[in-house]
Amino acid sequence: MTDQKSPLIELRAVTKKFPGVIALKDIDFDLKKGETHVLLGENGAGKSTLINILAGSFPPNAGSYLINGVAAKGLTPHKARLSGISPVFQEFSLAPELTVMQNMFLGREIRRLGVLDNAAMKVRAEEVLSELGFEINTEIKVGELSRARQQMVEIAKALLQDVQVLILDEPTASLTDSEAEKLFELVERLKTDGCGIIYVSHRMAEIRKIGDRVTVLRDGRKIGTVTCADTSDADMIEMMTGRKVDTLFPKVVQKPGKEAMRVEKLTSSCGGVKNVSLTMRHGEIVGIAGLVGSGKSEIARLIFGLESIATGAIFLAAKTEIRNPSPRKMLRNGICYLPSDRVGEGLAMDRPIRENATIAALDTEKFNLRGLMRRKNERDAANKVADRFSLRPLDIERRVEALSGGNRQKVMLARGILRDVEVFLFDEPTVGVDVGAKAQIYHIINELVENGAAVLLISSELPEITNLCNRTYVMRLGEIVGELLGDEVTENNVLNAIFDDHTRMKPDAQVPA
Amino acid sequence: MMRELILNTQLSQRFNRETLARTVGACIMPLIILGLSVVFGVLEPRFFTGQNLGNILVQSSFLIVLAVGQMFSLIVRGFDLSVGQLISMVSVASALVMAHLASTMPEAPFLAVAVGLGAGLAIGVAAGLINGLNIAVLEVHPFVATLGMLGICQGIASTISGGFPVFDVPDVLARAFLHNRIFGIPLPVATAILVCVVAAFVLNRTVFGRMLYLVGSNPRASVTAGIPAKRVLVGAFVTCSLITAIAALMLTARTGSGEPLMGGGLMLQSIAAAVIGGVSLRGGEGRVLHCVIGGIFITMLSNGMNMVRVEGYFQMIVLGVVVITGVFLDRLRKR
Amino acid sequence: MTSNGIWHKALNALGRVGLLPLLVLFALILLSLVEPRFLRQANLINVLRGTGFLVLIACGQMLVLIVGGFDLSVGAVVALSSVVSALTMAGLGADGAMSVWTIIAFGFAAGIGAGLVVGLLNGLCVTYLKVSPFMVTLGTMSIAAGVALYISAGAPVYGLPEEFTRIFGRYRFADLPIIVYTAAAAAAVLWLMMNKTVFGLYVYAIGGDPAAARNSGVSASAVLISCYAICGMLAGLTGLLLTARIGSGEATLGSTLMLESIAASVIGGVSLRGGVGRVENVVLGALILVLVTNAMNLMRVDSKIQTIVIGIVLILAVAVDAWRQRIRGRRAA
Repeated sequence: MTDQKSPLIELRAVTKKFPGVIALKDIDFDLKKGETHVLLGENGAGKSTLINILAGSFPPNAGSYLINGVAAKGLTPHKARLSGISPVFQEFSLAPELTVMQNMFLGREIRRLGVLDNAAMKVRAEEVLSELGFEINTEIKVGELSRARQQMVEIAKALLQDVQVLILDEPTASLTDSEAEKLFELVERLKTDGCGIIYVSHRMAEIRKIGDRVTVLRDGRKIGTVTCADTSDADMIEMMTGRKVDTLFPKVVQKPGKEAMRVEKLTSSCGGVKNVSLTMRHGEIVGIAGLVGSGKSEIARLIFGLESIATGAIFLAAKTEIRNPSPRKMLRNGICYLPSDRVGEGLAMDRPIRENATIAALDTEKFNLRGLMRRKNERDAANKVADRFSLRPLDIERRVEALSGGNRQKVMLARGILRDVEVFLFDEPTVGVDVGAKAQIYHIINELVENGAAVLLISSELPEITNLCNRTYVMRLGEIVGELLGDEVTENNVLNAIFDDHTRMKPDAQVPA
Repeated sequence: MMRELILNTQLSQRFNRETLARTVGACIMPLIILGLSVVFGVLEPRFFTGQNLGNILVQSSFLIVLAVGQMFSLIVRGFDLSVGQLISMVSVASALVMAHLASTMPEAPFLAVAVGLGAGLAIGVAAGLINGLNIAVLEVHPFVATLGMLGICQGIASTISGGFPVFDVPDVLARAFLHNRIFGIPLPVATAILVCVVAAFVLNRTVFGRMLYLVGSNPRASVTAGIPAKRVLVGAFVTCSLITAIAALMLTARTGSGEPLMGGGLMLQSIAAAVIGGVSLRGGEGRVLHCVIGGIFITMLSNGMNMVRVEGYFQMIVLGVVVITGVFLDRLRKR
Repeated sequence: MTSNGIWHKALNALGRVGLLPLLVLFALILLSLVEPRFLRQANLINVLRGTGFLVLIACGQMLVLIVGGFDLSVGAVVALSSVVSALTMAGLGADGAMSVWTIIAFGFAAGIGAGLVVGLLNGLCVTYLKVSPFMVTLGTMSIAAGVALYISAGAPVYGLPEEFTRIFGRYRFADLPIIVYTAAAAAAVLWLMMNKTVFGLYVYAIGGDPAAARNSGVSASAVLISCYAICGMLAGLTGLLLTARIGSGEATLGSTLMLESIAASVIGGVSLRGGVGRVENVVLGALILVLVTNAMNLMRVDSKIQTIVIGIVLILAVAVDAWRQRIRGRRAA
């Protein structure tokens, strides 16, 4: 509004098609100097395609792309960088075996007489890092850094050159609170320097904090561009999801009954979780809120025996203690963990739905007749579950690879249905899941609880916590810093607990994640 | 995420394309085999005589068994480089046992043979156990673990045999194996069929078989789902070595002697046969049928080239080209 | 607690330096104490010569392993180079019209050229056909060995220029054979490449995470193909020098070198998953392998049993390394 000069970059009626699908249709988009323009949308809405076009990764099929008012033709990632457009993608462009410094300069090394000029690169790298306020040793291999620190290196790498447009794709997804805070400061500073920032996110709190304008995408179409200050959260969510918030979540009737599991003073060997105690009851959804790196995911992994426990104890049904937990042991005791990384450790992607549905129940009598597969039982059970979850496609012989994120999550949920599971540990159950499937998954969770299961819901999505949970633990830096009950579980309360005293945190008090 | 969207909206089309690709993929190797046999038949009419086709069948039965064994390690994302030298070791060791027993109690040659066969199988299991434990428990890369085992087997084979073939094997072995038929099927072929049927049963009908595929497809996910992945891994390598030992005993029975150099090129052939037939090097995939097709293909190729008098050295070149093209075609079809 | 602390400190130190130098030192001391003949000049030269051949070929193998590949064809390339260069030199020398040095130059060009051709073929197939390196080099191994046997008809090729065998096979400069200098030079050049140039950086980057390297604008294809090409050329050079040592072109040469080159690399800490490996450690790995063999020879261990020992050493070395990595991983986490 203050300046009417031509925008830094502008898209006019851009359309992008992939074989068999239109990823973006008729998108107009522009970024002005000194503003933060947020891209808001569900997973699969077209955000990634849009920033890939902006970064020169691939050209649009129709429409035009103007950089500083000039049409960009034959753009490559390299040329885009030269024009000052620096993307920070979610999939990092870091080589794990190289040092921080080597990674920052990868592809544009400083050379003297054909030989790497390490001294010069080190000076420059440290300069950029200290400008950003990131305390990272440039000599360390990137593979040895936590994901949060890798994210910082990635950002530093983007800022190594003169930047006019910085593209940040969900940058706080792996940052701890104080690190995220640093990033926000940086964004402010870049703005005053006249940079334009494109910020991809679907976290309301963040968008409120740093956004100027918001463009909402849904199913490859632009729903609208609004100014942050004039639009309510509910309106934005409605634009993003296409439905009122309250229709997304089922009305969960919580009937907390007997204690299902109790964890006492759990501390992990690598220090990511400290002194955590919590209880779960039948017929109740218990949430764990916190930023990534707060240790909330590790709790479930510790309980399920995927990471090693230093001290502490796990009790089942108020009395039996489980020592040395392992996935096998926990499953046999009716506890099931559903990991957030479905591709990496959840599913056998190139095996059929049927095999993935029964994967955790292969030792039960239902499917195992003295070492032989009971194939009819398996088929029937898999078909029944597929029906119940309205899996699409309904063909249980299809490879899981070919399914959408939501359907993959349903396949993974099947394992909890096909054996006697009473305690469910969900880690980010709706990551990469589209809206429709999200509602279905919430519905399934609701059903589980109605049938008396105990559910632990670990989530970074506050609406999930506030709408589904009866009780919520809030984690920060590996410790539980609060427990909210019933009506106390509101977005504001949770946020307050998460960010409560972060200003008092010293950077060196961080937990290596 | 974008991929998921594409997949989502594209499912119906993809379904057709996937089935089409699968049908074409399943037909491609049999078609190549058919085409190849026509070429050989035209070049050399004797190729199509019943006797020669029977020969191909008998010859390929050894390779098929080997490939089935190798497949068990390939399914769990490994491979077994030691199969060749394991064959030598099993051959020599079982021959020595038979020769020794035959000389101490000449009146019971069948007992000597039976004990010898049992010893051979036991050695196979032991070697597989060591491979599997190294890989699963000590977390040594399969390449190194089986490479080490290769050296060990080779050393043992040449040490206990002194480097010479073991000849004093009761001749009932070779006679029984080469001249007997079951329902008109030559014994080597019958053995191969038996191994194939049992292996297919294990892979498709048992819980162990299912776990093999799941561990191979995604080791971390199988652990999260409570599958005892380490035990499955050990089981895979034990099965691989056990089947290899069966192949070694078949080969010993064919030659009628224990040969310290028997295994030489067989390791590569076993992998080539399995992979050309369609077993994935990336794990989680592989059927017995793949090994049958691959085994027949390689055997027929060399048989045909012999018939049309392609020089032995030149055959190696052809085999090399065929391996690369075969795997390339396989990749194309999976894309 | 205190003993625990010392234990941890020791483990940490071990983690940084690695076992290799200690192991080599230990082996050297033990050998010279137990077996006086080890220190004799003739034996030491033997050890160095053997190490030289192994280092030369293992350097190439290491490069391919770091970039995330495999080269099973190196042994066959040695044979091919031997036969091709011998045939070239014998053919050109037959009419006596050419100067000996020109002939030798052609011989070198032919041998290294043969290696380059196979290496390029490997690289192109891996990069553009996207066939797994294991299968590609399995195929080219068969092809190279077949060609070597075919053109030599399976018989040794004689008629090499006398200067060739004398200088490159037997001549000693300051008591050391040419192969030792060649290997040292190759290792030094490779060290510079891996540590001081962009090429080396890209090799590590691609081996560690190909997608990340591509995202950073690194042209993976060119680097991949170069690695296979260099590996092929080094194998070709090894074949040439082995030919000079033996005095004839042999299609059976180098049959054990494929496995030994991988063994030396792996003992030297090169990861079979790519991205990790250092030249100096591979040299040590080769040295260990040769030392163990030499020690067994001196102690008159049957050569058949030697293969057993080598197999066990290989597995143990990697098992210990895997264990060390696990400990480090646990402590870093």
